[in-house]
Amino acid sequence: MADDNGSNLAQFKAGLLSDNPVLVQLLGMCPALAVTNSLENALVMGGAATFVVVMSNLITSVLRNLIKPHVRILIFTLTIATFVTLADLFLKAYMFEVSKKLGAFIPLIIVNCMIICRAEVVAIKSGVARSLADAFGIGIGFTLALSIMGCVRELLGSGSLLNIPLFSKEFVDVHAWVIMVLPPGAFLTLGAIIGVVNHLRDRKSGGGA
Amino acid sequence: MSKFINESWLVLVMGIVFATMLAGAQQSLSDRIKENQLRALNEAIAEVVPGTIRSESIEIENEDFKGNVYKCLDDGGKLVGWALDSSGGGFVDKIRLVVGIDPAGENIVGLKVIENVETPGLGNKIQDPEWTGQYIDLDTSREIKVEKRPPNEGANEVQAITGATWSSRYVTDIVNAALPKVRPELDKHR
Repeated sequence: MADDNGSNLAQFKAGLLSDNPVLVQLLGMCPALAVTNSLENALVMGGAATFVVVMSNLITSVLRNLIKPHVRILIFTLTIATFVTLADLFLKAYMFEVSKKLGAFIPLIIVNCMIICRAEVVAIKSGVARSLADAFGIGIGFTLALSIMGCVRELLGSGSLLNIPLFSKEFVDVHAWVIMVLPPGAFLTLGAIIGVVNHLRDRKSGGGA
Repeated sequence: MSKFINESWLVLVMGIVFATMLAGAQQSLSDRIKENQLRALNEAIAEVVPGTIRSESIEIENEDFKGNVYKCLDDGGKLVGWALDSSGGGFVDKIRLVVGIDPAGENIVGLKVIENVETPGLGNKIQDPEWTGQYIDLDTSREIKVEKRPPNEGANEVQAITGATWSSRYVTDIVNAALPKVRPELDKHR
């Protein structure tokens, strides 16, 4: 975790890479597995989660001196649930098709550990600028991780990207690795990506300068 | 009492503020959401009753039936079938589906699940056309049964989704509950 003395920019960058919620902290893996069978789903989920974590961190940080310790979890949950519901209503109104594909996973953002974790670890004890930097870093990091998975799975499993076919239908019917758009493919992809990330981190800390 | 207020006033205030925000959002977006659902419904009707160009909502007098029925017509106004929009409980929460039947009201010609929050990867396979395709040509006058094996010839059966028997049964229950209530009244609206 970034320490208190680091800059806001460092806090933001941490969420993107060195402290990526899905690939390093291993949080929010349920949506990472479930909705990454297409890049579009992954991007929308990432966007919705980013909206929620930003608003949650913002409100928690603004009210941090008023939140009494023994009701803080209650207040975090109340805030998160409210903004997830707003996101859900927005998607149902303006992105109806995608919201149907994401189904129950949008309301499930409420229980995404990474969001309440940011409130507890950063927002409740930091100023607004720091909390926002953290929230955007985590949100974009989450979206990044999901998008990588979405690209791999959609490309290998459906031969398309953002629902635009990249190969002929005949080629896809024969060569598509269908398992990629099913749950086992999700685990395989996530495992492989985390493996690569761990390898890169080991090299950086062990073999680096 | 004052200690209670002292400790929890922020929660109460935030609760009220957030509730108001959500109520406001719901109010302002509900028209658009209803429009989206209506469009999805019309697309579903056109899918389950092939050849539908337009549909008219018809009144079902049976008070037990809580859905909607549509008379499906082609370009020239000829009857091409009926679409029943019905809901019921599912394994997780409400399932809403549209089942299409032929003009005579005797056989199913299509089924589409338009709303569900069943378990992704398992229960929500009730959305798959390969699974709902089993309902085509089934007899509307007999109860449809769900079995864990491929359907027998001539029996009014569908095969349950592996690992999602309950979701499969709930969909069939909705169809079985709707058909007997609606069939007798179709003649009035021909």
